[in-house]
Amino acid sequence: MPTLHHTLVTLLITLALLSGVHSRLLAGQAAPKAGGGFEHVHALGMDAGGQTLYLGAHTGLFRSEDGGRSWQKASLASKHSHLDVMAIAPHPRDPRTIYVSTHEAGVFKSADGGRTWREVNTGLGGLDVHGLAIDPSAPDKLHVAVREKAEGVYRTADGGGKWVRVDDGPGGEVKVLTSVNIPTGMGGIFLYAGTAEGLQRNPDCF
Amino acid sequence: MGGLPANRTANGFAVDPENPKVMYVAMRDGLFKSTDAGEAWKPLGKELKNLAAVAVNPKRPGEVYVSTIDGIILKSSDGGRTWNRQQ
Repeated sequence: MPTLHHTLVTLLITLALLSGVHSRLLAGQAAPKAGGGFEHVHALGMDAGGQTLYLGAHTGLFRSEDGGRSWQKASLASKHSHLDVMAIAPHPRDPRTIYVSTHEAGVFKSADGGRTWREVNTGLGGLDVHGLAIDPSAPDKLHVAVREKAEGVYRTADGGGKWVRVDDGPGGEVKVLTSVNIPTGMGGIFLYAGTAEGLQRNPDCF
Repeated sequence: MGGLPANRTANGFAVDPENPKVMYVAMRDGLFKSTDAGEAWKPLGKELKNLAAVAVNPKRPGEVYVSTIDGIILKSSDGGRTWNRQQ
């Protein structure tokens, strides 16, 4: 026959054990994954409103409304089950307009904050698009760096309506392309390119 | 472009839209910041390694985000001096 003391001690130990298991279960649910669960990240970008962070990775496009603590996958196009997102260019003033470029399917544009997307590839010689730069003072003007087939730098002056090849592009594989609002003195601004050979810059008046 | 590691891949690049001479480069070696349009660069945050990308919040340009290649996100609210892991 257990004493009252014995029963109380057993009860307390049982409660402590159950509480420990419960804590571990909760911790398991809330624990961050090793890394963000992404495979090979290529790009980050924040919308003009400073609210939504976009992340491009080998596994697609993701968006976060809480500064990168939690992420939801965005669907770029139903006909592509897997897209490798290489670059992100948010519009400098309109938080609803975002451009992204992909390794397989060219450039996509959203006009509703990333909910729906359409391909804007007319005039591009190839669809492996590694760099995507939006002009901060004339946002309908964008440049892209196309790799492999028909590689080079292409420009649009109408928000992706039509692209024209304007240059061979920098030496080395382009990782990131950005228009920087610093006047060249020749009527244009500078394009900065992060490449396999380091950072390079060139006037954008090709 | 003094101060950037030579012959190393520049994976990510971001600019402060209010002052475009302030810019960041993300590399496997870490994060580098320039305040003179890329003439001189200084490394930021010794804990930052293996970086794939960097972004600046256009509404609060002191707020900077980086991602490592495998997706760890870190945020700075003071132009890159101090960093907090987000996940």
